[in-house]
Amino acid sequence: MSGSLHDVKNSVWMKTVMISIGLLFAGITAYAVLAQGIGTVKHHEWEDAHHVLEDVEADWNSANESGETFDNDAFDAAWEKAHHDDVDAHLSYLTWSTAGKTIMVMFIVYAAFYGVAGFFNSIQPDGDDDEHHYGEDHEEHHGSASPILMAGGILLFMMGFPGFVVTCKSWLGLDYDPDMSGFMLSAIGMIITIMGVGNWWNEDLKGYPEQIATSAPFEGQDIRKAGMWIFLISETMVFASFFSSYLRMRTGWCTQWAVNDGKCDAVDTFTASDYLRPGGATGTGDFWTLLPGGINTFALIISSYTIVLALKVAKDVNWEPSKNAVMARLFPTRQKTVRNYLLITIALGSLFIVLKLIEWSHLIAEGFTIDSQAGSIFFVATGAHGLHVFIGLLVMLFMVFKADTVGYDEENGQGIEYFGLYWHFVDLAWVAIFPAFYLY
Amino acid sequence: MGEHKYTGPIAGIFQKMADMIGKDVYYVNFLILMFFTLFEIAAVFFETIPGTDIEITRTAVWAILIIVGIIKGYGIAAFFMHLKGDPFIYTRTALFPVLFVALMIWGIGLSNPDGIDSLPSWCTPNYDYSYVTE
Repeated sequence: MSGSLHDVKNSVWMKTVMISIGLLFAGITAYAVLAQGIGTVKHHEWEDAHHVLEDVEADWNSANESGETFDNDAFDAAWEKAHHDDVDAHLSYLTWSTAGKTIMVMFIVYAAFYGVAGFFNSIQPDGDDDEHHYGEDHEEHHGSASPILMAGGILLFMMGFPGFVVTCKSWLGLDYDPDMSGFMLSAIGMIITIMGVGNWWNEDLKGYPEQIATSAPFEGQDIRKAGMWIFLISETMVFASFFSSYLRMRTGWCTQWAVNDGKCDAVDTFTASDYLRPGGATGTGDFWTLLPGGINTFALIISSYTIVLALKVAKDVNWEPSKNAVMARLFPTRQKTVRNYLLITIALGSLFIVLKLIEWSHLIAEGFTIDSQAGSIFFVATGAHGLHVFIGLLVMLFMVFKADTVGYDEENGQGIEYFGLYWHFVDLAWVAIFPAFYLY
Repeated sequence: MGEHKYTGPIAGIFQKMADMIGKDVYYVNFLILMFFTLFEIAAVFFETIPGTDIEITRTAVWAILIIVGIIKGYGIAAFFMHLKGDPFIYTRTALFPVLFVALMIWGIGLSNPDGIDSLPSWCTPNYDYSYVTE
């Protein structure tokens, strides 16, 4: 992110506008194919399965009313099968529909960040005004106002967010009164946030000398690295509050685990793991319900490794392409290798979000909602984690752009390292969340 | 990056494994993380150890989840986050919130009136909770 200075022509930023149009197109295509195409087919299958279930129930009702003798066991078996098929078809529909919608929303946000930031930067004067003379004094403060601009934007966005949500719901045809003032406040906040981010990206793309701490306890260390670690401390506290809340609630619930241990008599709470893990109390858990969480765990670990590889390649002055033909094609040059590892990391992070929301949609369909204590702590904790992943993906979008334009090398590669700390922390949080909420 | 040779009782094992297979420590760490994740999921997925009649008890699952969590946490923090190769001030910084986390877990997490009845006495705060149940 720094270490060397670059002359970034504003025309370069127009590339982001083009990429954002591509992202928008990709998101809409994914929605059309997954949610509207396959999703519609799956919806028809679900309707058919539901009709079969209704027919079975109607047969039973009519037989009951007419006083006919019928085989109860056969009816039970038919109902079980019809109900099972109905649930399966519903969840299958939700899988495709949620995947399509999630990819579209994610790509719209990607496109907004890329497009607005790119456009904002491309209309600025050319970046040849080194008024801060960064190259002359390594102790000079970077002095960016961008974080303050971004924080102000987030403040406005959050102030108007309730109005934003109800307005969107009313536009979707739901029974809500639009709150346009809240919507506008939120929209203005979002634009200011993106401009703040865009300005920050602009400053970072040009580069500036790394500031070194001059006093204890971090004397001699990069200030940004120390700052990142202190930020991660605060993040640890955030997740610790989720865990202590969960622990407090969990010890008061009579779950299947507690009943089996003889600590209470009757189950009064189903946890997410009761729905997801095989042998869970609700009986809905099997290999397939645990699979998204399992894949997500592997996705985060692999993404942690790919970002380490991106850093390793960026810092490696002796890097050479692989002798393997396929690998050499995938990773032809040092600059493209860094970019491609970052792209793989984005793909894995995006997969995490899509699978997470598919899993949520299944849980909600099965009755595990945020209305319950168990649901609220599950959705808040895993949602906060998912938000961290998503924010990381937005930062990584810029890193891909930087890797593709000015490039990362041994001079400025520490930008990947500092972002990597955040990304590994997100992985580390999942190491605790996954067993606590999914397996236990 | 990668050329650094790790030493010490645990990191040294990672380094030896890396030297044995001719890869760097990051690769070994990645494989270990993948293996233990698989192990963790399998412990919950199977009711008995595959191929045997030995039951995987809840205590065993608990133990596995905690031990595997510690191993994975160490692997990520030590190698991927470079705490092992960086100056010790970063490790001290990373450990700083542990006290507060412990206080939160102990003071809030374990303060449930029902929770204290069902938890071992050694983790029960020495506090009169009678007002809660009155």
